[in-house]
Amino acid sequence: MDKNFLEIQNGSFSASEKNKVNNVNLVIKNQGEIISLLGPSGIGKTTILRTIAGLQKLTNGKIILKGKTLSSNLVHVEPEERNIALSFQDNSLFPNYKVIDNINFGKKRLNGNGSSLKSNEIIKLLRIEPILEKFPHQISAGEAQRVSLARSLMSKPDLLLLDEPFSNIDQSLKDEIQVSVKKLLKRINLTTIIVTHDSYEAFSMADKCGIILDQELKQYDIPYNVHHEPNSIEVANFLNKGVFINVKVIDSECAVHRLEHPELGEIRGKLSSNFPSGSKVKLLLQPEDLIHDDQSKLKLEVVDRKFRGTNFVYTLKTNKGEHLPVFVHSHHIHQHEKNEKFGIQSPIYIDHLVCF
Amino acid sequence: MTKYNIWFFSSFFIALIVALPIITVFSSFFYETSNYYNVLKETFLFDYIFNSLLILIFVILITFLLGVLSAYFVAFYEFPFSNFFSWTLILAFAVPGYIYAFSIIAFFENYGTAFSILTYFFGENNYNTFIPKIDGIAGAILAISFSLFPYVYVLTRASFHYQSNNYIEVGKNLGLSEKETFFKIILPSARPAIIAGLALVSMECLSDFGTVSFFSVNTLTTGIYNSWLSFDDLNTANQISFILLLFILFLFSIEIYSRREARYHQPGRGFKPITKIKLSGKKALLAFVVCFLILFLSFLFPLSQMIYWTIKFPKYFQDIDIININLNTLILVLIASLSIVIISLFINYGSRISKSKILNYITNFSVSGYAIPGVILAVAFITFFSNLSDFFSENLNLNSTKSIFIGSVLGLILAYFIRFFSLSFNGIKSSYEKINNSIDESAYLLGYSKIKTFLTIHIPYLRTNIILIMLLISLEVIKELPITLILRPFNFETFATQAYIYASQDLLEAAALPSLFLIFWSTILIVISSRYILSKKN
Repeated sequence: MDKNFLEIQNGSFSASEKNKVNNVNLVIKNQGEIISLLGPSGIGKTTILRTIAGLQKLTNGKIILKGKTLSSNLVHVEPEERNIALSFQDNSLFPNYKVIDNINFGKKRLNGNGSSLKSNEIIKLLRIEPILEKFPHQISAGEAQRVSLARSLMSKPDLLLLDEPFSNIDQSLKDEIQVSVKKLLKRINLTTIIVTHDSYEAFSMADKCGIILDQELKQYDIPYNVHHEPNSIEVANFLNKGVFINVKVIDSECAVHRLEHPELGEIRGKLSSNFPSGSKVKLLLQPEDLIHDDQSKLKLEVVDRKFRGTNFVYTLKTNKGEHLPVFVHSHHIHQHEKNEKFGIQSPIYIDHLVCF
Repeated sequence: MTKYNIWFFSSFFIALIVALPIITVFSSFFYETSNYYNVLKETFLFDYIFNSLLILIFVILITFLLGVLSAYFVAFYEFPFSNFFSWTLILAFAVPGYIYAFSIIAFFENYGTAFSILTYFFGENNYNTFIPKIDGIAGAILAISFSLFPYVYVLTRASFHYQSNNYIEVGKNLGLSEKETFFKIILPSARPAIIAGLALVSMECLSDFGTVSFFSVNTLTTGIYNSWLSFDDLNTANQISFILLLFILFLFSIEIYSRREARYHQPGRGFKPITKIKLSGKKALLAFVVCFLILFLSFLFPLSQMIYWTIKFPKYFQDIDIININLNTLILVLIASLSIVIISLFINYGSRISKSKILNYITNFSVSGYAIPGVILAVAFITFFSNLSDFFSENLNLNSTKSIFIGSVLGLILAYFIRFFSLSFNGIKSSYEKINNSIDESAYLLGYSKIKTFLTIHIPYLRTNIILIMLLISLEVIKELPITLILRPFNFETFATQAYIYASQDLLEAAALPSLFLIFWSTILIVISSRYILSKKN
């Protein structure tokens, strides 16, 4: 019989009245999968990690790891007996031990997962060599985070929990370390749950991504789908990558579905959920959905322009007062000033028509 | 929800023990007193209060001047021996008020040390007529002030030291003169520390028994002692204690409030240490003279007086069983400091892992013991255990249990525990609070049990602090007079009691040797503690 690696059945997690998440159903099928939990600060993501680690009790439901129930209404396996490592967001290094000793603390775990991970390798990968002989108070917050991660990895856990693991690391180092850590986790086949409020981090690190909002796990899917096909207005708003405009469904039966907007005209694509022809819906319009075309007859007024390095984000205004974001490559031959007219390729074609 | 486990009940039990004196003092109103209380009320009670307050006011003034002035020079200026003064000025802590009092009398009395010095330098004459007689209230004020000013000095210096240079630079940038910078920026921001220091001085001053008793000044503490010893009226003693406790608790609240305030004045992230100004010429001489005078008067003067007498009257080396006194003191110091620290560790750890709010309140209550003067504590202690013993005898037909707690080492240790528990508990707590909770959790997740986490992570981290606290408790126990004097076993003497007993019998020369030993051990403890503190840059 195929067993799921980790299973949370109807899990309710609570740290306080405000900070709770209810009825979570989450499955990690195979060992070695990396999942991320994404949500705003204070929503209860850390509470979920702490509960899985056994530092807090599960309010309701069940947590099963490798077929063994760790938490339920009747069972609570103590954290020291779970073989789950949690790398905390804040500095949790033992203050009176040097960095190297802190890392070696991880080695002392007796029931490790048996991987052949060497401390030298982790130290090199996480760029810790220069600070090995220092005490925790002598290193930066970012360095402390890396040491904490190294210590967790050294304990060879069955499950690794990372709470905002890269939040204090310099941007210049962050991308590189994220890539290395992901590679390492995959190589040693270590199942990992990463909690973050940074969607880029969540999408780039994880095989699957869970969105937690309003005390619920709203969506649990591969990052591509979470981004392009959010399953609720709340998720789309949280990811904050687009706007909703009012459209009418003209044709939902053919291979290419068609919608209509009074100013933008016809919008084609594939509806992510079924709506009968004639129904009025809200369409999610993301900045990459509209394509700039100076020759197009469909023109809207520019109300704002932001330079984002690789691209500009223009905000266009419809006559009805809707503000639409559009990406334009920053090497585009010319720029459009405020109040100028801005052409959009028409008819509009969007791969995923996300409507509610 | 609070769990009623071993941590809860042990904390509750300890809080109850520490609360014993307060409960006893308050309950004394339900018992009858002898006629002595009525006589006292109509005669001397007002004098007791008046004298206590008069001494208090002058002590506050003098300690403020001595403490702030010396702290100012040491913290902001560099002059010859400034680093030396920065730690030697604390040494005044090694000389309790009553030993300072012996020195004052010895120096200024007829044919005393001052007389001998004048005779040595200027030949024989009747110097006694113009050597001032410093005794009574004036003597008590001076002795208490010089022995307590380090409280103000230490706290003010720390506050000056941690004052960010940024504020001073901003002051200069805004066009303030050096004087204006001091009065408008430096002094106001050190105010909470100064007030906390003065509140401690006031509490200790009101609690003082040895000095005022030696100078025969009637204050509330001597009133309590006399009611018990001379009139055998414990309830009157407790009712006078109540009046004193009201003053003390008022000061205790000021101290707690000021300390909380002081936290807001501590440096934040942009802290830039002050750069000391190098003094030269007359200014350097002035700073040197001020600091040297304070060091001389507070420490070197009583020390040299005791050394002088010890050498002058060597016969007391044979008369006094100094080895036995050393041993007695050592036993008390070891048992008291070890037991207090171990229990404080236990309660702190319990409070940490059980995370109970009720437990926190209880433990916070149990630290009030330090505010209770030794005399009150000792008298209340006797009252409580006498009543308890009577209760057992009457109701359960048990033999008297008084001797288990009164006049025994066990009772003495218990009383020390009540008095010094807060020192130890708070010291460990402040260190414990620096260990983030996630550190414990990390250890659990790495497979460490709670007890293993305590032994491998907490204890090594707290080690320095534990040693420091043990040193401080030892210092307090060595200097402690009223509790030891009242509760000690028969013929069981410490340096403090032996010195006090000789002095009260007018045998000041004999008091010199135990006093000298007391100063010697206290100085060693202070030097080691201050090195510890400095090495941690605490």
